[in-house]
Amino acid sequence: MNGRLAVWCAVVTLAAASAACRRPPRPGDPLPGLSKAERARFDSGRVAFETIFTPETGLGPLFNADGCAECHEEPVTGGAGDEIERHAAAFHAVPPAGTRPCDELVALGGPVFQQRVTPALRTAVGIDSEPVPPEATAIAGRSSPDIFGLGLLDAVPDSEILTRADPDDRDRDGISGRPNRFFDGRVGRFGRKALVPTLREFNDGAAPTEQGVTNPVAPEEGTFGGRPFPPGTDPTPDPEISRETIDLVDFFVRLLAPPSPLKLNRQTHQGRAAFDSIGCAACHVAALHTGDSPITALRYQTVAAYTDLLLHDMGPDLADICLSNATPSEFRTEPLMGVRLMTRFLHDGRATTLEQAIELHNGEAARARDRFRTLTAEERAALVAFLKTL
Amino acid sequence: MSRFVLASVCIIAAFSPVATAQQAGAPSHNVQGAVRVVDVRARALEVTTGIGMALRVVRIQVPAAVRVTATGAVLTLSQLAPGDIVRVSYGGTPGGYLAYTIERVGRMETGAGGTP
Repeated sequence: MNGRLAVWCAVVTLAAASAACRRPPRPGDPLPGLSKAERARFDSGRVAFETIFTPETGLGPLFNADGCAECHEEPVTGGAGDEIERHAAAFHAVPPAGTRPCDELVALGGPVFQQRVTPALRTAVGIDSEPVPPEATAIAGRSSPDIFGLGLLDAVPDSEILTRADPDDRDRDGISGRPNRFFDGRVGRFGRKALVPTLREFNDGAAPTEQGVTNPVAPEEGTFGGRPFPPGTDPTPDPEISRETIDLVDFFVRLLAPPSPLKLNRQTHQGRAAFDSIGCAACHVAALHTGDSPITALRYQTVAAYTDLLLHDMGPDLADICLSNATPSEFRTEPLMGVRLMTRFLHDGRATTLEQAIELHNGEAARARDRFRTLTAEERAALVAFLKTL
Repeated sequence: MSRFVLASVCIIAAFSPVATAQQAGAPSHNVQGAVRVVDVRARALEVTTGIGMALRVVRIQVPAAVRVTATGAVLTLSQLAPGDIVRVSYGGTPGGYLAYTIERVGRMETGAGGTP
């Protein structure tokens, strides 16, 4: 009897452990199915991600945050932040001779104009933030989104993005998504204007852009309005962090799991149907598929991304800066995975509710927004309730 | 004393014009990016590139002897235009960066169909 009890207990314990292993990832968890070594590297990456920099360890002289986790922190490390960054560019629909329509103001310190300075730079030049040059035609706010599931988006092949592109709206559905491209011609997907082709580059570029911390991939210190920093204001030798550190940060970000969609009930089933029927799903594509990857957890997965990673014209009210091929009114379809964790919406956080965010859609999304307005109050509530399951 | 002399000779040799010319004689960098400015009079190109959102502009001098090509055809510098995507091999000199080869590989306006 005792033996049977022991076996029974073991079975129950194993079943419980198995169920715990299979529970959906919570915010901040890694993707399921990591090896022990991958899990250990993920945990080390979280430590690197949470590192707080000082001027003595490489911070600045210009910066937006003293660490990755200052802006990606709610509800857990890797989540969203309440910071609003300042980006600027100059757009001329009819460009002056010898120029492109979009000038990202790179030679003048753009497109990201940092809002904080180290004490040494403040003393040397008497500023509290990097000045936006008068050449800018627009200044944009950029909220800090959560970064859950970005490794899966990175693993989606370009071909899957391009297959949905319809730049000339040949199917005449009023939606004409097109890919943005980086300056070397590769398809972009990361950032609100889909400029950056890979997560690796996005992460590597974030250290110097956001913290003023150089690394072996981006070893050159930025500029102050396009000019070198005054002597003595950047005492730490470049690169200010090692290759191993940026590798760890990248690994952590890459393997952060997207929050699992919640189970649908009758109302949210109805909401999902409305989401599809009024046309939201034309751009907020429910499922993308990853390709091959050296990391098993990223390989051939289906991602509930709710984005097509393409640029769409969102109308004049949301328009701000240009970036590469993206015009001021074009934005990448925002992934809705994890949207239930967000408290502010749209690229600059101007909407405080999902209803407001939907109402602010225009341009290619005007038709879907107008259909949303024609729904009954109950149907609109169901659609919003569905979004809050993502 | 002899060590001092030897060290001095090495330092002088390292910074001599011959050594500099040898360093400048081979391309040490490659960049693929978008032409921002073509300055034909100064024979210079500005190319936008970068890592993620950490963007930068590289200004490169283009000696008259440098070949500018596009799908095998030879171009003049003035045939490049802002928005062209170019692949440039270049090297550092005391006066700045110097181009060795320039190949036009695409245009920024490329749509869904054209990947350089």
